[in-house]
Amino acid sequence: MNFEVIIGIEIHCELKTKTKMFSSAPVSFAAKPNTCTNEIDLGMPGTLPCVNQEAVRSSIKVCHALECEIDPLVRFDRKNYYYSDLPKGFQITQQFFPIGKNGEIMINTDDGEKIIRINRIHMEEDTAKQFHHDDGSYLDFNRAGTPLIEIVTEPDMRNGKEAAAYVEKIRNILYYLGVSDVKMEEGSLRCDVNISLRPYGSDTLGAKSEIKNLNSISNVQKAIEYEIDRQNKVLLSGGTIDQATLRYDETARKTVLMRKKEGDVDYKYFPEPNIFPIRLKEDFISSIIEQLDELPDQRKHTYIHSYGLNEYDAQQIVANKELSDFYNKVVTNTKEYKLAANWILGEVSAFLNKENIAIDQSSIIPEELAIMIDMIVKKEISGKQAKEVFEEIVLGKKAKEVVKAKGMEQVSDENAILDFVINVLDANPQSIEDYKNGKDRAVGFLVGQVMKLSKGQANPAITNKLIVEELKKR
Amino acid sequence: MEMYSNEYFKKLANQIMFDLSDEEIVSLKADFEIMLQQMELLNKIDTDGITEMVYPFEDETYFLREDKINHVLSQEDALENAPETKDGQIVVPKVVK
Amino acid sequence: MRIDDYKQGNLEKVVEAGEKAKASQERLNAVVSFCDIEEQIKDYKHTQSDLLFQTPVALKDNINTKGTRTTASSRILDNYIPVYNATIVDKLKAAGAVFVAKTSMDELGMGGTNLNAYTGKVNNPWDLQRISGGSSGGSAALVAEGVVPLAIGSDTGDSVRKPAAYCGVVGLKPTYGRISRYGIIPYASSLDHVGLFTTTIKDAATALEVLAGRDDNDMTTSYKPVEKYSSLLNSDLQGKRIGVIKNVMDAIEDKTIQETFKQLLDKLESRGAIIEDVVFDTDLMNALLPTYYVISNAEATANHSNLDGIRFGVREDGDDLTSIMINSRTKGFSSEVRKRFVIGSYSLFTENQDKIFRKAQKVRRRIVDALKEKLASYDVLLASAAGSIAPYPDESYGEKLSATYLVAENHMLLGNFSGYPSITVPNAIVDGMPVAVNLLAKPFEETLMLSIAKAIEEECGLEGYCREVSE
Repeated sequence: MNFEVIIGIEIHCELKTKTKMFSSAPVSFAAKPNTCTNEIDLGMPGTLPCVNQEAVRSSIKVCHALECEIDPLVRFDRKNYYYSDLPKGFQITQQFFPIGKNGEIMINTDDGEKIIRINRIHMEEDTAKQFHHDDGSYLDFNRAGTPLIEIVTEPDMRNGKEAAAYVEKIRNILYYLGVSDVKMEEGSLRCDVNISLRPYGSDTLGAKSEIKNLNSISNVQKAIEYEIDRQNKVLLSGGTIDQATLRYDETARKTVLMRKKEGDVDYKYFPEPNIFPIRLKEDFISSIIEQLDELPDQRKHTYIHSYGLNEYDAQQIVANKELSDFYNKVVTNTKEYKLAANWILGEVSAFLNKENIAIDQSSIIPEELAIMIDMIVKKEISGKQAKEVFEEIVLGKKAKEVVKAKGMEQVSDENAILDFVINVLDANPQSIEDYKNGKDRAVGFLVGQVMKLSKGQANPAITNKLIVEELKKR
Repeated sequence: MEMYSNEYFKKLANQIMFDLSDEEIVSLKADFEIMLQQMELLNKIDTDGITEMVYPFEDETYFLREDKINHVLSQEDALENAPETKDGQIVVPKVVK
Repeated sequence: MRIDDYKQGNLEKVVEAGEKAKASQERLNAVVSFCDIEEQIKDYKHTQSDLLFQTPVALKDNINTKGTRTTASSRILDNYIPVYNATIVDKLKAAGAVFVAKTSMDELGMGGTNLNAYTGKVNNPWDLQRISGGSSGGSAALVAEGVVPLAIGSDTGDSVRKPAAYCGVVGLKPTYGRISRYGIIPYASSLDHVGLFTTTIKDAATALEVLAGRDDNDMTTSYKPVEKYSSLLNSDLQGKRIGVIKNVMDAIEDKTIQETFKQLLDKLESRGAIIEDVVFDTDLMNALLPTYYVISNAEATANHSNLDGIRFGVREDGDDLTSIMINSRTKGFSSEVRKRFVIGSYSLFTENQDKIFRKAQKVRRRIVDALKEKLASYDVLLASAAGSIAPYPDESYGEKLSATYLVAENHMLLGNFSGYPSITVPNAIVDGMPVAVNLLAKPFEETLMLSIAKAIEEECGLEGYCREVSE
């Protein structure tokens, strides 16, 4: 019997705001413990929440990017449970009226493009961080109250690869929007995956496992593939799957049971009485959307349809926002879109890899790369010379200055070139003879000789023209 | 578990992190009886088509807090009331997650 | 005492107020913690023009005061020293107030008798055997005793207006959102109001001027401008329309209260007021208490989930996190509070929410709709604030489901459900015990309500009434 795999994903993303979701204490990473809180984040008696405008703005950006309907009336609810990392004994979230719903995004799969539906996007607050030591668990409340958005898909994915593609896509979009650091290894993007198997043709969902807190995209894929295999074996051997929460053990490369679920926990959700519904005015929402930068898919579309790049190259560039930003700057200074892409995916990327730095950490000035590319096209420098020039450009130097300093400036003065031409012709009577006998490639040889004599500085086009003219005279 | 048995109420209490003694449960059951009677008074009110009143006033609001750091406690203040601390953190018995 | 008694005097009088508070403790047991007065007056830099210049003020112990213990009369907060001030604490200080004491209350506000305080019963200044009423009992008692001219309380289900009635002082609960709740340890957020006790309507108006106003820390506060309540006071009743809640007066069995109430109505009528009976649907009135009980306990159980012994408060030993929380909360809360939390939690379960919690929220709307409709034709609604004078502790529970209890003792919940302003004004002394009436007005019509209260005060001759003065 064959099983269909059903996968849904919940992504928690920490927003990169200055202050907390409901307090004006700073959001910060790697600060000394308990130095970024105020009484609200600590759940001190008598405190009240106050909604962060920037968190709402960021959420609107994400909703728009994922094509969600935006609810212009922002409402919050309480999710009640007790835990040491949850200061108030409830989390303020948006259970009943999420800010976004019914969205979708396109991912690329082995079978082509596929739409993943987004069920909802809602705002909530993060919990404190716990560090487990031998003598107890240590609590740092710096993270408590950090704004989070949760993005929940419909169960639309069918294998680990699709799931990984989805997470990668979301991560890239969130990064392009500038709303989050999206660092999975640091927990600013956290991923919970729900998996169940069912016989093909069945329309009921099987018991599902939830794999919590996957910390990299490759682990998303690996954990899912392991879990599919495990469930498959259990089902084939006549066993049943228990609803359970799992984690992925990276070293053992397998999923490990955290706890079995005995019915759903009742979080006793009810509307947060301390936050009246907040109306987002139409112009507030539209001004945020209007100011949005292009998203990766839009850029890719431009690259392919306006710049003539191939799909692969376009994808390679947009996969890295900084590289794409850099490319965009280069092509505002040159119309040589394809050559620019070749350079960026070739020499530039090789250089960055070698140095192990990101493009925004390098000294390359995009305008200078554009100037260099134009010089190549105008044949002012040769491809070989360009590579030499590039070695200086990566040091932050200007293309023209490098060319000048290296004496690569081409001579375009016809009189000067004519001197070279006459000298070369005088020295090569055999070639003149060959030319007269109809052997055109003699011209190429003579151009080469002029270049050699001029140390490569003679403009090849002018040289060619003058040689032909002189040959005709002889 | 039998509805409204002693164990039932004990479980309800434990879910919200406290215990009830047997005497307290007897008294709670009496209060529960009163609540159920009071529910009859509530149920006399026709609420078909009525939406819940969550807030005393329902005029929409527009205020959102500007994203500006305005108030942060020192570590000392943050921990001042904590029963047990170490290395700038609050300590609880080891939590197995 | 009146605010002016202190404004005209000197800082010595503030120190005296502190001594009086200490001296009253044996009689009243109204104080949880005494404030450091010397510290507050050391660099006292206020002037006569500040509304609360040199005024000693008592604060209910659920108001966060930075550096001063704040327990909400609960054992679990016995060692809690706030690291921040409630917004109103800053406002009072800025107006010149000097804090004298943190006053006893029913634990976490949950009660109407003040018998359920960790420090024990608060005695009624007029008869120590009787209760002060609650939950702001300590604040009411200190004003009635004459220790302070102003005390702050909070009112979730008449917790200012009922003890004011029992202690014979003015008890004001303005419109929801008029005074910031930031820093007030809550009971039930959608019903909680900050309120205050004084001995005169003018002082109540002055205090409201100080306390009222938008606070960005409390998103439910209103942007409506704060009026100059004290200077706008006028006691002209000519043509004022007063609706008497007939259901309440019919439910009251106490003949003396009926009588004093009628005498008041005659006086008001003779001043030109138009007085008419207003009758609410009986079922709606009977539903007041159950509605309150459900909503308040549900919100309270969530509101107090932060009291777990982890970050602050009294932590009891335990082998693991769960047992620490369970032990801290079991010992930290009284039986009464724990029982209410269980009931609140029960009503929030997914399978019960529609039947209980949401049902109560829907009934709340029906009640408020009815109130709005009735108030449309009147300036204020008027009724006796309580069905009797302050009872003895063993009387105070009454018959829970009798009409007297359901309607006469709980009608002031109308003000909490609707958020409309409401004030209790003493109107007579019967056998040495005060009797009071209650007004309920349209939202943000505090000025009008205070003016009508002023007329009542003038007619009853109890302005400035307190033990210190009457003896």
